[in-house]
Amino acid sequence: MNDAQVKMATRELNVYYGEHRALQDVSIPFYAHQVTALIGPSGCGKSTYIRCLNRMNDLVPNSRIEGEVYLDREEIYSTSMDAVELRRRVGMVFQKPNPFPKSVYENVAYAPRIHGLARKGTEMDQLVETSLRKAGLWEEVGDRLSLPATSLSGGQQQRLCIARALAVEPEVLLMDEPASALDPIATQKIEDLIYELKSRLTIIIVTHNMQQASRVSDRTAFFYMGEVVEVDDTQTLFTRPSKKQTEEYITGRFG
Amino acid sequence: MDPNSLKRTRMRYRSERRFKLYCAMALVLAGVFLVIFFADIISKGYPAFWQAQIKVDVSYTQDVKELPFLAVGEDVSELISRSWFRQLPRKLNEHPELIGTTRSKWVLADGAVDQYLKDKPNGLDKEQKNLVDRLRNQDRTKLAFNTYFFTQGDSKLPESSGIFSAAVGTVYVMIVTMAFSLPTGVLTAIYLEEFARDNWLTRAIEVNINNLAAIPSILYGLLGLAIFINYVGIPRSSALAGGLTLGLMSLPVIIISSRAALRAVPDSIREAAFGVGASRWQVVSHHVLPMSLPGILTGSIIALAQAMGETAPLLLVGMMAFIPEAPSGFTDAATVMPAQIYTWSSAALRPYAERTAAAILVLLAVLILLNLTAVFLRKRYERTW
Repeated sequence: MNDAQVKMATRELNVYYGEHRALQDVSIPFYAHQVTALIGPSGCGKSTYIRCLNRMNDLVPNSRIEGEVYLDREEIYSTSMDAVELRRRVGMVFQKPNPFPKSVYENVAYAPRIHGLARKGTEMDQLVETSLRKAGLWEEVGDRLSLPATSLSGGQQQRLCIARALAVEPEVLLMDEPASALDPIATQKIEDLIYELKSRLTIIIVTHNMQQASRVSDRTAFFYMGEVVEVDDTQTLFTRPSKKQTEEYITGRFG
Repeated sequence: MDPNSLKRTRMRYRSERRFKLYCAMALVLAGVFLVIFFADIISKGYPAFWQAQIKVDVSYTQDVKELPFLAVGEDVSELISRSWFRQLPRKLNEHPELIGTTRSKWVLADGAVDQYLKDKPNGLDKEQKNLVDRLRNQDRTKLAFNTYFFTQGDSKLPESSGIFSAAVGTVYVMIVTMAFSLPTGVLTAIYLEEFARDNWLTRAIEVNINNLAAIPSILYGLLGLAIFINYVGIPRSSALAGGLTLGLMSLPVIIISSRAALRAVPDSIREAAFGVGASRWQVVSHHVLPMSLPGILTGSIIALAQAMGETAPLLLVGMMAFIPEAPSGFTDAATVMPAQIYTWSSAALRPYAERTAAAILVLLAVLILLNLTAVFLRKRYERTW
């Protein structure tokens, strides 16, 4: 399994917030068309880490990054890579559904429009429909695209956010606890969706829910106190963890 | 229940009732003052909207062009406003066909007659009073709607003075204030809130802006006098000088309220936009600004309403002046509504007192209208996320 192509990787990544070192020497490879789950107790640096992968952490005042992040062997913090272009290639879904306070259609059409990916009219209509279908939302909202996105249910809003991210055809999708604010049925839908999307892109997902990690991911990384304790195939990590800390965490003895 | 705890509970309820009573009393007190204030202003100002007129036979002769007083009988001529006589020669020049005719007309009465008809202290002597009484019995006096109040500028004759020039001046001043402070304030707020890094410089600027909002407004008048009039050379008393001065004054308020409106947009929206690859300016112009616009407009309208009622800084740039003619440009000498109110309030003649109250009513109506607009905007575009 590990001979698959590496889509993204970090090498010795360190993040500082002022004097505080939030991540220490994190090196993880992410393989193409696989789902990698990042697990660990609150405050362990998972979210900080995933936000470094599309340079969202740049926006946090007083943060400083050392180390390297590669996308297809290209260093994303190098000057040749533009953060705006990077975020088109590496999409993101957030913990709380955050649709724009606009119509369903506008939410999906926004990113393709600013990147000039589709012309107004049928081309854009087509792209909106495709993206909503990919996110499994077309059946539910296809006939009310002009409705405000905020009138959808929480689960639908989150899938709309996924459709919005998919509309620019990213190569990697980052998901920061995408189901933590949803009920079990909506969570189930998101998980099914992750399974389907895997064939199109590389997915990195932060989750608090270990069952979820074991259900959806191919590989899992366990974070603790800003460090990566263990990275392995999900099945191996959950059945035969090589570190004691990992075992204690996944069996629920702490965290 | 144990009696001690029962007692404590009862005491807690009692102190709650007491506190509620204090609050209600404070509300009633504030309400009473408001009612007294409005009742006083309305009762004083309402008569000014009605103005005495007298019906007289006007004979247009050739001599009237030189001596307008000859147009009416000698006895009633002192009951008629001098402003009416003044416009006679011009009228005859424009309409020469009137010469040689005599017409019965309602003409504007002198201010003292007006006050006498309204049962207020006046300067009429006994003979004049008798004359007015006689006219009244013949139905040759009336209180008609006071159009002069809305169409005339200030005048040394109270009966023909109005708020027109002050209202036009206020419009000009507000245009300047808005054109200067709205873009400057909103752009400053956007820069501080969305672009600037959080360092000692921006923090120092922020503290200074907050302090500027609390500075006595007369100091802005001094600043305006020093910069706009003495240094830049903008004409004294002009709407431009006054508007820029008031603009300086409302700038901090607009900046602060705009920043608050921008900050009220949740970060999750910014993250969403950044997350799909929007540039910083796109995040601001496509998402943050449209969402915060109602808040920005509300704050700006309130700042402008405040500027509209401001008098002290205008004192120093020379706008507290007798301006009979409405300004026709931004550099003409102008006055504003609150300045007009102040000028009238210190005038000696009695009819000015009711005009003062009437002008206050007009100003209050405009301000209430502006504030209602702000409330309407907030309600109409308020969104929850």
